[in-house]
Amino acid sequence: MCVGCRICEAICSFHWEKTLNPKKARNRVRRVDPGLDIVVACRNCNQAWCIEACPEEALYKNRQGIIMVNSKKCRGCGACVEACPFGAIFIHPETQKAIKCVTCGFCTKYCPVNTLRILTEEELATLKQQKVIQAECRNLLDELRVEEESLEGEQ
Amino acid sequence: MTSKSPKLGGYAGKHLHVDMTKGECKPLPLERDFALKYLGGQGFVSRILYDRVGPTTDPLTPENVLIWATGAFTGTLWPQASRYVVAAKSPLTGIFGESHSAGHWGPELKFAGFDTIIVTGRAKSPSYLFIDNGVAKLLDAKDLWGRDTNQTEEIIKEAHGDPSLRVSCIGQAGENLVRFAAIINDYDRAAARSGLGAVMGSKNLKAVAVRGSQDIPIAKPDKYLEVIEELHRKMLDSPFTASRAKYGTTNLVELMQEIGRLPSYNMRSGVFSEYQKISGEAIRKHYLVKPRADYACLQRCGRYTLVKTGPYAYCGGSPEYESQSALGSRCGNDNLESILYGHHISNLYGLDTISTGATISWAMEAWEEGLITAEDTGGIDLGWGNHESVVKLIHMIAKRQGFGDILAEGSYRAAQKIGRGTEKFVMHCKKQEIAGQEPRAQKSMGLATATAARGADHLYAFPVLDEVGFDEEIGIRYGEQYLPEIGDRLNPKYKGIMVKENEDFCAIVESLGVCKYGTLIPPVLFYEDIVAAFDVTVGVALTEAYFRLAGERIVNLNRVFNVREGIRRKDDCLPRRLTHTPAPEGPSKGQVVELDQMLDEYYDQRGWRLTDGLPTLSTLHRVDLEDVIPDLLTHGIELPD
Repeated sequence: MCVGCRICEAICSFHWEKTLNPKKARNRVRRVDPGLDIVVACRNCNQAWCIEACPEEALYKNRQGIIMVNSKKCRGCGACVEACPFGAIFIHPETQKAIKCVTCGFCTKYCPVNTLRILTEEELATLKQQKVIQAECRNLLDELRVEEESLEGEQ
Repeated sequence: MTSKSPKLGGYAGKHLHVDMTKGECKPLPLERDFALKYLGGQGFVSRILYDRVGPTTDPLTPENVLIWATGAFTGTLWPQASRYVVAAKSPLTGIFGESHSAGHWGPELKFAGFDTIIVTGRAKSPSYLFIDNGVAKLLDAKDLWGRDTNQTEEIIKEAHGDPSLRVSCIGQAGENLVRFAAIINDYDRAAARSGLGAVMGSKNLKAVAVRGSQDIPIAKPDKYLEVIEELHRKMLDSPFTASRAKYGTTNLVELMQEIGRLPSYNMRSGVFSEYQKISGEAIRKHYLVKPRADYACLQRCGRYTLVKTGPYAYCGGSPEYESQSALGSRCGNDNLESILYGHHISNLYGLDTISTGATISWAMEAWEEGLITAEDTGGIDLGWGNHESVVKLIHMIAKRQGFGDILAEGSYRAAQKIGRGTEKFVMHCKKQEIAGQEPRAQKSMGLATATAARGADHLYAFPVLDEVGFDEEIGIRYGEQYLPEIGDRLNPKYKGIMVKENEDFCAIVESLGVCKYGTLIPPVLFYEDIVAAFDVTVGVALTEAYFRLAGERIVNLNRVFNVREGIRRKDDCLPRRLTHTPAPEGPSKGQVVELDQMLDEYYDQRGWRLTDGLPTLSTLHRVDLEDVIPDLLTHGIELPD
């Protein structure tokens, strides 16, 4: 389970840009609940809303099924960022073009808890991990919904 | 010549000066010579504080200077690169005050374009500082005033529509000028000691929110990953990484009990019969949700805990060892849920749990002795282990209500006010409460507590190798010739050598913006790793000798700051209980701290005069601090040759 250290962000920015800057990373760690961190990276959806949303046709799927950005066409309008339901595509702070994970797998080598792996759809299904992960997340979220007494109650 | 030198890697390259009175924010360049002489973090704040505040500065007035500083490695891929230092003249001790914290705020400050923030003055009305990618401004915080730290962080994130903002802020305790108020960042990471939350409150500064998208430049990118991979490998291979991941520091309760170093009943004793009920194993078994790492950390000692039902229900940050001992064994309290909850609300209010628990336990002992009664407390029962009273007092301290208003002054001032002989139960050094380290069970910790620049403190030197079983590492680090005595926790011999070396190294660690866990135990990473990482990150090849001298320089700078405030050997002391009353029970039964003997050795190692602890002129020349000598003379302080 992700512990939120963000090494994958830093290593991603270093891999692509030779500098340390999480805003240039192609992945992001999001804290979605007090006790839950999730690494967001493009999952190359079958129905890719980002591709449909792009007015410049700068996004496309390559032969391996990976969604790519043609930065010559991209104008940085951010329509793909709005369209992505996972928050997995970003605007580069300097080039102002879309950037996203292209499944290079470089970050997986540095994850200290081995949470990051590159799997094909088949592998994922075979391992039945999806179900397990979903169940884990559901349980965890249920557990976390505690009614916390606010400090005002003490006044 | 400076201008021709290439830009330093690692650093953001700018200070941010903020004048709260005028409402002005001004970026100024970080000078290369300053950066390389003081390195960052603790080094930066030590020099800036020395130059800008002094004996006439009242800590809670606009004249005090509050400084946040990161280091060259903060925000990089060094295996634990999350740390920042915050400092001011302390309202608790009246001397050099600093505190450290992790999380993600420090790295974000650098991504926002600044190495330091230097705050002076006082705003007319509550304000918060918003640093947005190199541009800083003060914004109205009237609606935030009166809010706890988590509400403050949430409201600021919502106001800017950005959940990835990072916030460092105070809760009600800092607003109410509680003398041990903490600064909290990332919901539950605390820069707790020295009462710096009160300094923030005195400036009407509620929060500092940061975000940015600027690079931390790496000077030698071609070699960088090779060095970093080696550091990561070392860290992951260390047996302590697995233990930290499993327990954080919570299982120190069990380990300290084993050697009689777990303070109980206001440090009357170093063992607690009910320790298993408040242990790391108990937390892991019943309350742990998950471990959480701070930025770029491989050890992930942070954790999240959940109490599902009852009066102490909450979900949030878990206490670590210091909070378990302060709110638990020290108060004779074996109710774990109350400790978890007490720690949580201390984070919400922004309180230092160490001073909070130590102050409450002082009151509990005075109660038992009949020196404090229900008349003083407003009817609150202060019997040992009364967890409801512990929690109630936390609320009252933060709000300065009733008896809490007296406790909010810290145990030293509270005892001065109440008198009646309660003074002898104050477990402090230089007015700051001693942390959860019973020094009769480990003599080096006693010396470290007495010499630490910010008053009683375990982290300024953090001597841990003589706790148990590190003889091999001790031999390599301090010299074979000092074995076996130096490795024996109960033997005072050679502890001056150990504490001196540790203080120097800790100063470097805190100046670079990295964590002490990976560097001090046993060390996993040491000077040679710093040399290698500094070269590829900053682009300047410095030697181990350079760093060792820089560490000594920072410690001496802290000392001369305190000397100017009147601190001498007489103040490097411990409560009489620890130096004269033998430990009553447990594995260290019969022990006292032989402080004088250790201090002699320590001053000798430091090059400070034995009689009064003043640094000698030749010492200051040797560490390249001769420029402070004329200033000390203007304060009537003549240093010995």
